Amino acid sequence: MKETKRKKDGRQSVSYAKWGYIFIAPFFLVYFVFTLIPQFLTIYNSFFETYRDGLKQIGPNFVGLQNYITLFTPDADGIIRILKYASNTMIMWVAGALPQFVIALLLAIFFTSYRLNIKGQGFFKTVIYMPNLIMAAAFSMLFFTLFTRGGPIQMYLAETGAINQTFDFFSNRVTVRGMIALMNFLMWFGNTTIVLMAGIMGIDQSLFESATLDGANAVQVFFKVTMPLLMPIFVYCLITAMIGGIQMFDVPQVLTKGNGAPDELSRTLVMYLNGYLTNKNYGMAGAISVIIFIITGILGGIVYKMLSAQYKDPEQK
Amino acid sequence: MKRFVAMLLVVAMVFSMAACGKKQETSAEQGKVFNIYAWNEEFKGFFEKYYTVPEGVTVNWIINPSDNGVYQQKLDEALLKQADAPADEKIDLFLAEADYIGKYVDSEYTMDISSFGFQNADTQYEYTVKAASDANGVCKGVSFQCCPAAVIYRKSIAKEVLGTDVPEEVQAKLDSWEKFDAVAADAKAKGYYMTASFAETFRAFSNNCTKPWVDENNNLQFDDQILAWIDQTDKYIENGYTLTAGVWDKEKTDQMFKDGKTMCFFGPAWYYNFCMTNAQDAENGCVGDWSIVKGPQAYFWGGTWLLAATGSDNTEMLKDIFETFTVNEDVCSKLVENENQYPNNTKVVEKYANDANYGNTSILDGQNDIAIFSELAKDIKWENHTNYDQLLNEGLQNKLQEFYNGSVDKDTAMKNFYNYVKETYANINVPEN
Amino acid sequence: MNKHMSQNTKGMIQLFILRFFAYAILIFLCILCLFFFYLMVVNSTRSNAQLARGFSLLPKEHFLENLVNAWNDASINIPRGMLNSLIIALSTAVLTTYFSALTAYGIHVYDFKFKKLAFTFIMAVMMIPAQVSALGFVQMMNKLHLNNSFIPLIIPGIAAPVVFFYMKQYMESVLPLEIIDAARVDGSNEFHTFNTIVLPILKPAIAVQMIFSFVSSWNNYFIPALLLDKAELKTVPIMIAQLRSADYSKFDMGKVYMFILLSILPVMITYIILSKSIIRGVTAGSVKG
Repeated sequence: MKETKRKKDGRQSVSYAKWGYIFIAPFFLVYFVFTLIPQFLTIYNSFFETYRDGLKQIGPNFVGLQNYITLFTPDADGIIRILKYASNTMIMWVAGALPQFVIALLLAIFFTSYRLNIKGQGFFKTVIYMPNLIMAAAFSMLFFTLFTRGGPIQMYLAETGAINQTFDFFSNRVTVRGMIALMNFLMWFGNTTIVLMAGIMGIDQSLFESATLDGANAVQVFFKVTMPLLMPIFVYCLITAMIGGIQMFDVPQVLTKGNGAPDELSRTLVMYLNGYLTNKNYGMAGAISVIIFIITGILGGIVYKMLSAQYKDPEQK
Repeated sequence: MKRFVAMLLVVAMVFSMAACGKKQETSAEQGKVFNIYAWNEEFKGFFEKYYTVPEGVTVNWIINPSDNGVYQQKLDEALLKQADAPADEKIDLFLAEADYIGKYVDSEYTMDISSFGFQNADTQYEYTVKAASDANGVCKGVSFQCCPAAVIYRKSIAKEVLGTDVPEEVQAKLDSWEKFDAVAADAKAKGYYMTASFAETFRAFSNNCTKPWVDENNNLQFDDQILAWIDQTDKYIENGYTLTAGVWDKEKTDQMFKDGKTMCFFGPAWYYNFCMTNAQDAENGCVGDWSIVKGPQAYFWGGTWLLAATGSDNTEMLKDIFETFTVNEDVCSKLVENENQYPNNTKVVEKYANDANYGNTSILDGQNDIAIFSELAKDIKWENHTNYDQLLNEGLQNKLQEFYNGSVDKDTAMKNFYNYVKETYANINVPEN
Repeated sequence: MNKHMSQNTKGMIQLFILRFFAYAILIFLCILCLFFFYLMVVNSTRSNAQLARGFSLLPKEHFLENLVNAWNDASINIPRGMLNSLIIALSTAVLTTYFSALTAYGIHVYDFKFKKLAFTFIMAVMMIPAQVSALGFVQMMNKLHLNNSFIPLIIPGIAAPVVFFYMKQYMESVLPLEIIDAARVDGSNEFHTFNTIVLPILKPAIAVQMIFSFVSSWNNYFIPALLLDKAELKTVPIMIAQLRSADYSKFDMGKVYMFILLSILPVMITYIILSKSIIRGVTAGSVKG
C-alpha cells in the first residue's frame, strides 16, 4: 500500500509518471464513455445528408463536403449566411465582454485591496453574482417586460422625447444587440469578478508587500506583480468567456423569440445551428458545429499563445 | 472533504440504482399498464373525473412540457422505439395539437381506430375527424373538443363605429372581407383600430387555405388565402387600421383594457381565459362590453386530439376512452357545464345552443356564445394541411412583422422567410431569390 | 485604518477619492443587479391578471396566495423537485471539482509521455460546441436505458474540460512544486499529498468552481427534460417549464414567478456558504508560506 521514499536518485520525476496516468484516468474514462461518441458522431454526420421529414428519417446518404459547400455558398445577394451570423456573434460578444472584463478586473482589485479595505464585501459579492443565479430564460422574460413596446422603459423614454413614440427596442439593430450585450454583461461580470478575485487571493501576499517596500506605486504593483501572476487565470477567463461567447444562445434566443430580429442581425451561430437541430438535420448541424469548433480553436489558440508568451513568469519552474 | 465526496457518491449511486430497480419491477402481465403521453394536465383532469379505469389497469401519465420542443422530442423518441419496447412500456395513447397532428397521423406510429372497433359518430365535427385522418382517410384518433373561432368585438366601440352593437346587425356589416375592410376605414376615421395585431386575422385566412404549403414536387407555394392576408395586412399597416404588435404581445393585450381603442379580436372560446385576462381585470377591464359574431369567414384555432399509438395492447380501453369523450352525452354535457369546454358532440352542443337560460357572463354580456360557435363549427374546413404548417405559419408572421414594423423592406423580409424555410426544412424547394 | 493615519494627507485624500469611486461603482452595479431580483420578488406578489396588466414596481398582496398555489399545485411537487435538483447539483459540483483538480494535478505535477497530448486533447474538446452532442448524448443514454436515472446527469461531470482548465491555470499561478517535494520527503503517498496538502491550497479555486457547477447544474433544463419523465424524478427547471405550459384553466404567471423565486433561494444559500471559503482559503494559503 504505502509507496514511501521512492526518491532514491535524481530521476524522481520519471518514477512518478504512473501517478500522472492514474490521476488523469477517471477524466478520460468518463469522457470516452459519455461524451466522445456523440461528439465523434457530430463530425461524422457532417459528411452525410441526414434529417427527418416528420417522423420519417431521410438518409443518411454520404455527400462528402456538400454540407460545407452549402454553408459557404453565397445567396443571391452575395451574403454568406454563416459569416453573417459569425460576425453578429462576435459583435455582441465583444460588446458585452469588454465591459465585463474591465469591470470585473476593477472589482476584483477593489475587493482584494487591503488599502481600500472595502466594507460589506459579503453583500457586494453576493449581489453582483445574483443575475447569474436566475435562469437565463427567466432573466430574459424580465428584460422583455421592461423594454417591450408599452413597457416602462419604452414609455418613459417616449414621454421624455428621447425616442420616438413608436420606437421599438426589438426592431432596431443597435438596441437589440445592445440589450443582448447588456444582459450577457449583467449575467457574467459577477462570475468573472469572483474568478479573478480568487486568482488574486491565491497570489502570495508577501510579493505585494515586498513590491510596496521597494517603492512601487499601486499602478506599478498591478502591472508588474498582480497581472503577470494572475495571467494564467486571466487567460482562463478570456478563453472560457470566448467559448461561451461563440456558443451564445439562450439570451438572444429568448429575447428575440428565436427570430434573430431585425433582419437576422442578432442571430448567433448557435441559433443557426439550433434551427437545423429542430428538424434533426444532423448533417448540416454537424457541419456548423465543426466550423464553430474550428473558429473557437483558432481564436482560443491565438489568445492562449499570445497572452501566455507575453507574461512568461520568471519565477515559475 | 474526501469523506464528503465518498458519501455523496454513495448517495448518488443508491439513488440511481433505486431508479433502475424500479424500472425492472414494472414488467408485469400484458395489457395492465396504460401509458399516456401529454404536455400538460388538462386532459388528465377530465380523464380522472369522467372516465373509470378498468379494474387492475394502471394508468401512467408521461407529462413533458412543450417548452423548447421537449414534448415532441420525447414523444418521437418513444414512438421510434415503440416496436422494441416491452408491452407495458409501449405508448397506448398520446395527445397532439392541431398545429402538428399531421406529423403523427401520416405515420405508421398511429393506428386505425376502426381496427379496434371504434366508429366515429356523426355527432362528431367533421373537421376533427379529418384532422385525425391520414391521406387515405384512415382515422387514427379523436378530439374531445372543437375550437370554432369567432370575431370578438367591443360593443361600445361597435356602437360608435357601426351605430349598433346587436350581434345580428354587426354580423351583417362584417360578413365579408370587403365589408370588414370598409368598416376598418370607418373605425380609423373615428379614432379606433380595427384589430390590435398585424397577425390577428391570420388564422381566419390560413385555416381556410385551398392549397397546401408545398405542392407535389415539394415546392413552396402561397395559397390565395395567405396572399390575401398579406395584402390585407399591408393595407392595414399602411392605413393604420391595426398595430404592428404580434398576436401574443403586450401592446396588443393592452388594447383589451377599458381604455383600449380596438374593436375586433379573433379567437375561439379558450381565448377568453387565455388571452383576455386584461378585459377581465377588476379595475381596468370591461367585462360585459363584449359580444361575438361569425365575422367574414368561419375558422378554427387550436384543439387537442387523442391519438391511438400503434402497438398498444389496451385497445379495448382506447375504444372506451374515445367513446367516453365523444359519444357519451352525459360526459360531454359535464364538459360544458363544469369545464367550460366546447365538446366534440353536436347533439350536446345543440342542447346548450337552444337553451334560453344559457349565457356567458364571465366576459360577454350574457350572449349565448355556444349558439354562435355551433353555427360557426358547421362551416369549419380541415383541408390542405401539411406537417410543415406550424413552423411555416410562424416563420412567415415573424419575418413579415419585421417589414411591418419598418426594420426591413418587404423583399428582404420575404428573402429571410425563404431562408428560414430552407434552414428548417431541407426538403422544401424555395423560389430562387 | 491606523496604518493609513500615519501617511501624509495627500495620500489620504487620494485614498478617499479612490474609495468614493470604488463604492460608487459598486453601489451602482448592485442597484442594477438587485433591480432584477426586486422585479422578480414584486412579480411573485402579483396575481396572473395583475401580471398581464403589465409592469409594476410596487408589490401587491398575492404573495401568500401564489405561494400556497405553487406549493399545492397538483402536477408538481416542489419539495421533491428541490430535493432532486439538490442531489444532482451537489453531486455534480463535488465530482466535477474533485476530479478536475485531480486531473489538473496529474498533468501539472507529473511528467509522462502523453502529458502534452492529454492536455491538448482536453483543450480541444473544450471548444466543441455542447449543443449538438447533447442530442446524441440523450439518444445514447436512452439506448443504455439510463433515462429516468440521475447517472447521466451526474457522472459526466467528472470530465469537465472547462473546470479542468481552470484548475490547471490556478495551479500554475499558486501551487509551488516544492511543497510536493517536501511532502514526498516526509513520506507522504501521492494520493495523500493531493488530498491533504494540495486540496487545501486549492480551496478558493474549488469553492469557485463548486459554485459555478452547482448553479449551472441547478438551472439546467434541456438535458434533464429529455432524460427524465417520471414525476418523482423531475427537477426544478422541468417543473417550472411545466407550469409555463399549463393549460389555460390552470395557467398562472404568479405561480411561475413564485416558483422561480423559490428556486433561486437554495442556489443563493449555497453561494453564500461557499463564497466564505474563498476568503477563508486565503488565510489557509498564507499560513503555508
